[in-house]
Amino acid sequence: MATSIFTPNYPLKPSSSICVNTSPNPSKFATYIIKPRPRTTRINVLAAIASLSDPFVLQIAETLEDSLSSASPPLPLQKLREASSQSLLSTPWPSRKDEPFRFTDTSFIKLSHIQPIQFPPQSTNFLGVSTDTHLPNLVIVDGFLIDSLSQFPQLPNGAFVGTLSNLNSEAIMNRVSEFMSNFEGDLFWSLNGVGTPDLVLVYVPEGCRVESPLHLRYCSVSGGDSESKNLPISNPRVLVVVEKGGEIDIVEEYVGVEGEKCYWANSVTEVVIGEGGKVSHSYLQSQSMNAAHIKWTSVRQESASTYELVEVSTGGKLSRHNLHVQQVGPDTVTELSTFHLSSSDQTQDLHSKLVLDHPRGVSRQLHKCIVAHSLGQAVFDGNVKVNRYAQQTDAGQLTRSLLLEPRATVNVKPNLQIIANDVKCSHGAAISDLEENQLFYFQARGVDLATARRALIFSFGSEVIERLPHSFLRKKVENHIKQLLDPAVKGFK
Amino acid sequence: MALFNSCSCSSPSRSPLLPFKQSPSNPILFTAPALRPLRRCSVPNRLPPRLTASLAVESPPESGNDRGGKSKELLLEVKDLSAVISESKQPILKGVNLAIYEGEVHVVMGKNGSGKSTFAKVLVGHPDYEVTGGSVVFRGENVLDMAPVERSLAGIFMSFQSPIEIPGVSNIDFLNMAYNARRKKLGQPELGPLEFYGYISTKLDLVNMKVDFLNRNVNEGFSGGEKKRNEIFQLAVLGAELAILDEIDSGLDVDALRDVAKAVNGLLTPQNSVLMITHYHRLLEFIKPTCVHIMEDGRIVETGKESIAKRIEKEGYKAMPAT
Repeated sequence: MATSIFTPNYPLKPSSSICVNTSPNPSKFATYIIKPRPRTTRINVLAAIASLSDPFVLQIAETLEDSLSSASPPLPLQKLREASSQSLLSTPWPSRKDEPFRFTDTSFIKLSHIQPIQFPPQSTNFLGVSTDTHLPNLVIVDGFLIDSLSQFPQLPNGAFVGTLSNLNSEAIMNRVSEFMSNFEGDLFWSLNGVGTPDLVLVYVPEGCRVESPLHLRYCSVSGGDSESKNLPISNPRVLVVVEKGGEIDIVEEYVGVEGEKCYWANSVTEVVIGEGGKVSHSYLQSQSMNAAHIKWTSVRQESASTYELVEVSTGGKLSRHNLHVQQVGPDTVTELSTFHLSSSDQTQDLHSKLVLDHPRGVSRQLHKCIVAHSLGQAVFDGNVKVNRYAQQTDAGQLTRSLLLEPRATVNVKPNLQIIANDVKCSHGAAISDLEENQLFYFQARGVDLATARRALIFSFGSEVIERLPHSFLRKKVENHIKQLLDPAVKGFK
Repeated sequence: MALFNSCSCSSPSRSPLLPFKQSPSNPILFTAPALRPLRRCSVPNRLPPRLTASLAVESPPESGNDRGGKSKELLLEVKDLSAVISESKQPILKGVNLAIYEGEVHVVMGKNGSGKSTFAKVLVGHPDYEVTGGSVVFRGENVLDMAPVERSLAGIFMSFQSPIEIPGVSNIDFLNMAYNARRKKLGQPELGPLEFYGYISTKLDLVNMKVDFLNRNVNEGFSGGEKKRNEIFQLAVLGAELAILDEIDSGLDVDALRDVAKAVNGLLTPQNSVLMITHYHRLLEFIKPTCVHIMEDGRIVETGKESIAKRIEKEGYKAMPAT
């Protein structure tokens, strides 16, 4: 069965005139700015470019660029910065008129005073960073990898975990270079590329299986008070390269260290999986409820490789996950399980895109979300693209949403685009409150309504949480979710 | 049904009670609000229930002597219960009368759509139905004033005809919650998962289930037989003074039926009572009923011994009222 769903396009309307003050410290961003001129036919082309150059974006890019240390970066990083700044020139700040941000309001970031975090925070501020972990872990504070807090794993020969500036192997450096700037993300992807202080590299050589999971702990320490409008931005960037037959288990955890501060974590993770390789990826996001959290996960899967993602996102005032999985060889297996909880005045957004270009790919996607607050919102745009040569693809997608409060909002847009003619694809979307008959079943056995609701709400998310590969993660997530949901359950009484 | 109505209402020769029914001073013919305990139905009775109700006035309850010789307490008394579907207001129950004493097994049979399952659901307070008249008294308490949770904690258990699947909640967690709710009501300390496991694992043999059954999600992916066993298992774990078993035998093979029946018999004590709803006589071969009621169009139209069920099995419901 082959069906196609075409996503409507909302083209940008070029604004009629743009006026930009020249920056006091001219950088390459300033030189491209075009001032309005009298209207002629030629100018229309320029006006179109000018309209795409967003002064606000250029201003952020400029301050990010200024914040970077002057030491010359490793070549791949340099390449990344150049490509990113190039693309920022023609990328405006997204508005609700742009399809990918139709339901996601980013004005909260735009209206804040965005400040780059120039230096890693002083060690006195690390007190809040907990060190209780059983695993080798890398601690990334405000986008900077902090060696003194990290516990580097024992690695087999040829493997590498650390910042790009500390990498000595030329071969690996060249390999990394190959993967820089060959994916086009959006504005936030490019802002990260311009602003990231260094790149954290996880390199797994051919045939190497890394036994214990690698825990990446992203901590946000700098942050403004909710009234101050100050929004420090951090740009952590991680590249995971797993060569042919390699395997690794990555845990990414995002936390705000102290109180409910305002900050913006603008994170990018790239994963490259070689032939027959396997990456198990757990991603937990429990940022401050006043934070903006924008995250890119871009995955390239070569033939017969496996990528398994389990995500649980609960924090952030605005949390957006852009997940892009690109198949570059046949017989891949992709499993995406995500759970979003919007338990306060917050937006949880997942935009996933799975592009299948080769035969016999298998993918399973399950997205679940709960909105437990009347001002809460959840957004899901799940795109699966089965291109012409992706015959015998088996792609399944299911999204279920639970709305627990009046006026709670969910916007779901599952969409399949299928060109190949011999494929098996399914998708489903369900939005509901708790099932009355299930609640009655509990009550008929003597369990009161509040307890029954709590059990059913937890069970809804547990389908995803159970897929987390480590019990300590499951326990942590369960406890956290219980805390977050308690008011929602109590409020019901 | 039409046949029955015409018979019972139009043959003056058959009942001395008709004048009473037609009495202008009692315009609501069959509500009989002042009736005290209905006649023990363990006495065979082929008369229509409206007659039963009237007879009850004349014959005060006998002291039970069929089980243990002690006087039995009235457990459940349903009088003129009428109910409609909440949404459509369509009447389903049109005046049900029934009395169950301790230690008795009652069976309700009837055609599809006669109101048997509705009767069971109304007794446990299912929100799909609205009670419009009559009374239900359980151990002297007005059941209709109680929430479904209170009814359950008071000791009324209904096994669902189609047990509900609850993905994400394991059987053992579900039962632990329900069991602790009971203990809390009794003022006893709640049991943790380990203690509870100790208690519950001994009950598995009752329904012939394996231990992994406890870790499966409630009814999720269960076969028809497993769902029914699970209902009985819940009954065994939670206990109940009145177990209402709604078509516990449908969809079961012979072995499963025997297991379920064995479990039910094992749970029967002189204090516990069972109200079974079934279509088939074969269940009664395993569980001996005290009496059998035939339900039709929202009323109990005939009450008697097991022989009624045999006759129904043989002749069908059509033949019923002519006798």
